[in-house]
This record gives sequence, C-alpha cells and structure tokens, in this order.
Amino acid sequence: MSELWIPLMVVIPLICALFVSALSRFNKTIKVIALVVAIVIPIIPFLSNYGLHIFGGFLPMTDSITGMVYHPSIVYSFGVLQKIFIVILGILAFLVLLIYINKYKKASGPYIFLLFMGIAAVTALLLTDDIFNMFVFFEILALAQVGIVAASSLDNNYEMALKYMILGAIGSPMILLGVGFLLAITGSVNITDIVAAIRMGKVAITSPVFLMSCGLIFFGWLYASGLPPFHTIKSGMYSKAEPHASALLQAFTVISMVSIILIMFRIYSAVPIFEALLVVFSAIAMILGVTMALTQTDYRRMIGFLAVGELGFIGLGIGLGTQFAITAGLFQAVNEIIITASLFIGFGAIAYLSGETDTRKMGGLIGYYPKIAILVLISGLAMAGVPPLNGFQSKLMLVQASLSCGYPELSLLAIIVSIATFVVFVKAFYTMFLRPKPNTLKISNKKAPKSMVFAMVVFLIIIIVLGFFPGIVTTGISQFAGGLL
Amino acid sequence: MWLYDKFFEAVKKFKQLFSGGPVSNSDVSGTLAAEFLLIVSFCLVALLIRHVNILLSGIVVLILAIILVVNMPLIPKFKSEQEDSLNKMIFYGILTLAIIIVFIYWGSAYV
Repeated sequence: MSELWIPLMVVIPLICALFVSALSRFNKTIKVIALVVAIVIPIIPFLSNYGLHIFGGFLPMTDSITGMVYHPSIVYSFGVLQKIFIVILGILAFLVLLIYINKYKKASGPYIFLLFMGIAAVTALLLTDDIFNMFVFFEILALAQVGIVAASSLDNNYEMALKYMILGAIGSPMILLGVGFLLAITGSVNITDIVAAIRMGKVAITSPVFLMSCGLIFFGWLYASGLPPFHTIKSGMYSKAEPHASALLQAFTVISMVSIILIMFRIYSAVPIFEALLVVFSAIAMILGVTMALTQTDYRRMIGFLAVGELGFIGLGIGLGTQFAITAGLFQAVNEIIITASLFIGFGAIAYLSGETDTRKMGGLIGYYPKIAILVLISGLAMAGVPPLNGFQSKLMLVQASLSCGYPELSLLAIIVSIATFVVFVKAFYTMFLRPKPNTLKISNKKAPKSMVFAMVVFLIIIIVLGFFPGIVTTGISQFAGGLL
Repeated sequence: MWLYDKFFEAVKKFKQLFSGGPVSNSDVSGTLAAEFLLIVSFCLVALLIRHVNILLSGIVVLILAIILVVNMPLIPKFKSEQEDSLNKMIFYGILTLAIIIVFIYWGSAYV
C-alpha cells in the first residue's frame, strides 16, 4: 500500500489509450490489453493509501513572513470519495468494454483510445487539486466525448458531435478565463492555496474579479454537466452514441459535474449567492429534463433527458450545503451512474434486437425478451425512486435534507419530479413491452447479447445492495462532506 | 368552463407535436402530464423568493401562474425552444451567461 498508486489511476488508462491506438492493427492484442486494463482500473484504488501525491517531488513551501503554505507543483488528492467514484467508474468501464469487444469482431483502436482517454480524464478531474490541471482534463474529456459520439454508427451523429464541440468553444474559454482571474488575484492555481488565501482574507469575496471568476467557472460547469441551457445538447449526445458508449458518457458527465462543483464549493461557498444559483439551476434542470422526457417518442432521447433531469437532484443536494444534503447529493450521483447505465444498456439491447427506437411503432416485446424487460423494469423503478432500491434511498435523503434546511418547496419539487419520472418510465415500458405488438414491427431471431445481460445483472445487484445497505457508500461520503465543510 | 375549454384546446394542439407517426393516448397523456408538471413546478420554484420577501413571492407566484395558464399549451412552445437548433442553443447559452454574471455581481446582497 502506497501513495505511489495515486497517479497510476490516471497514468495507466492514458498509457493504455496510447498503446491501443498504436497497435490498432492487431485486433486480439488490443482487445486483451483493453480488458486487462479495464479489470485493473477498479482494483488500483484498493491498493492505494489515502493521501496526497506531489508531482515532481516539489514539496510545499512556507512563506516565513505571512506563514502561508504554497504548493509549487501539481498535487493529486486521494480520499474515500475518489475511491468510491473510481471503483464505480472502473466497474462500468469494464462492462462497457466487454459489451463493445463482444459486439464487434474487429475492434477499433482509435475508439478504445477515446474510451480510455475519457476514463483517464474524469479520474484526473476527481483527483486533481490544481485548477488549471482540472481545465486541461476537462478539455480532454470534452474532445473524447465528441470523438465517441462521432464514432457511432447512428444517423446525424456527426452533426450532434459538431454542435457539442461548438458549444464547448463557448463553455471552455469561460472556465479558462475564470481560472486566469483566480490566478491573477491569488497568485496560485493550487486549490488548497486559493482556499487558504480566501480564508486568510487575502482575497475579498466581494471583489469584482473574484465574483466574475465565480460566474465564468459556473457557466463552464453548466456546459460540463449538461444543466440548462446545455441540457438539449447533452441529451442529444447520449441519444447519438452507441448504447454502451452512452452508459459511459453519462458516467463521465456525472463525475465531471461532481468534481468541478466540489472544487467550486471549496472556493466559492463564501459567496452568498453561489449556493442559491446552484439550487435554482438544479431545480430548472429537474423540471426541464423530466418535462422534455415526457414528450419524447424516441426512447434513447427519453432516457437522455431523464439522465439530465436526474443531474438536478445531485446539484440540489450539493447546493443545500449541509453535511447531510451533500452526502445525499453525492449518493444520488453514485446511484445515477449505475441506474442510467443499466437503462442505456437495456434499451440499447432492445434497439439492437428490434431495430426500432420510436415507441409509437413498438409493443408486445415482453413476450419476446422477458429477461431484458424485467431488468429494465427494475432499473426504471430505481430511477423513479421506488423502495427498496438505491434511487429511493438517495431521493428520500434529498427530501429530508431540503426539509431540514427549511425549503419544503424543494422537497415537494423533488417528489413531484420523481413521480413524473415514474410516469415517463411507465409510459415507455407500456408502449414498448406491454401493449399489443403492431403488425409493422418485425422481430428478428437474434438473441440479446450475453455481455449486455451480464452487465445489467451486475448493475441490478449493485442497485439492490445499495438499496438495502446504503451505508456502504454513505458513511464514507458523509466523512468527506464533513471535511468539506 | 373557461379553464376546461382552455385545457381541451391545449390537448388538441398536442397532435402537432408528434409528426411522422400515429398519436396514441399515452403520448397525449404524457404531454398533458408535462404541461401540468411545468406549471406546478415553476410556481414551486418561484415560492423560493419568499426567502427574500414574502409579499414579493406571493405576487410573483400569482402572476406566474396566471401567465402560464393563459398561455397554455406551453409544451409546444417549450419544445420548439429546446430543439436541436444550434442558433437557439447558443442564444440561450449567452443569455444564461449574462444572467449568471448579473446575479453574482449584484445579487449577493439579497441572499
């Protein structure tokens, strides 16, 4: 056990990405490398100690006059929260790669390269204590996401990827400008140093430059997390990627959202309106996401909008700002990664088998694919917050948190949105599985890929275990939230 | 009966939302649920203004509820504003940036 494992959580997927790309002509080799690394990724966090890794060995320096400590190099911080998210990401990455390798006889080196670059980037976002390093990996992640969507075989995928990149050209420079403003007023890009400078009163929180940096980074965060006004493009990205890739893309979104908002929370929690803005944008995301999902007839887009709406619950918990509320928000993030991945893969299996994505042209599929129907049903119930599944536990915590913070209207909103989510799901499930099969729908003799069913069963086990024993993750998350405050 | 007629007119307009395929009961009921969800949830969010001023919150909720009900059906308008048009996405992106900056710069005194 050593802190030396901390950088390897980023370095291993990065090196794997480069190897796989370079060896893309050797089909079996890249498949083996990808699977082995995917198995290793969730194991590394268990081998590593909690702590800091300082790159280059440049130890912190103390200013003898002011007593302030400066970190001259990039620092990675590994704690219990990072461990939980990296393990979940690792499990998901393994299952996604398994589905991909099982589906395609000839694996694409550049495509696997993009998947691993995305995994490395979100891991770095979780670990980094350097705000410029955060921006660099945020950019790498955005490009990897564009590449993954552009590499899919669905209609209009290039257009959606291009739009996401163009919007990124607005969102990303805003973050960079905000980072530049912070550097200008604090003299550091290390987050711990910036927070220390604010707490010691070296930076006035009413300073226009400081407030402007908050606004700019907040806007960039909206782009990264797909909250309004970027909810349309984010749901579009999910619907234009291959189902297994959508499962991974939504995990990238959730983790980048959580990573950046926790950094912002550390720096800007003293700005009084920061938490209010966070709550308002999260509430709008919940409303617009579910409202738009209710009106969709393409189930991929429906799940895309639902995934965006669920992000609002995470923001709501963190925006309320108490230890219990932050724990609830982060627990919701863990649950959303698992539940939405399961739904994307389940509906992806249906799309693969029936060749149809328009719910108006579907029906009667429960007679043909009962196993997938049951797995999708349980995942959908978990997303809607039906007990005793994990979604219920996190949503109940969020309702309790907003009540205890003195916001009963937010509790009501969370309940109403959960009911609407249930309606979306019941509508989709009925139209696809339960109503009589239309004569125009042709059912092929293909069987559901075993890797997809296996992935859904693994997710189902996690959903049920976290539903009955939420303490497995909430205890660690609560400790982290206590430290954050 | 005015409100009933209003709802009925709104439901008839939902048909235009589902181009290129048959419209089923579940599609219309889903859209109707979205319509009510939108009205109720925006009024709930507007109630948060009570933390700034209770009277202001009452007035805002009342005006918002009237505006939303009078302008039914809302979903076709909301859907057309949230389509995959790059122009609209950029427009709302820039508008949001302006709103964030205004609220962060001048809003901190009122929270």
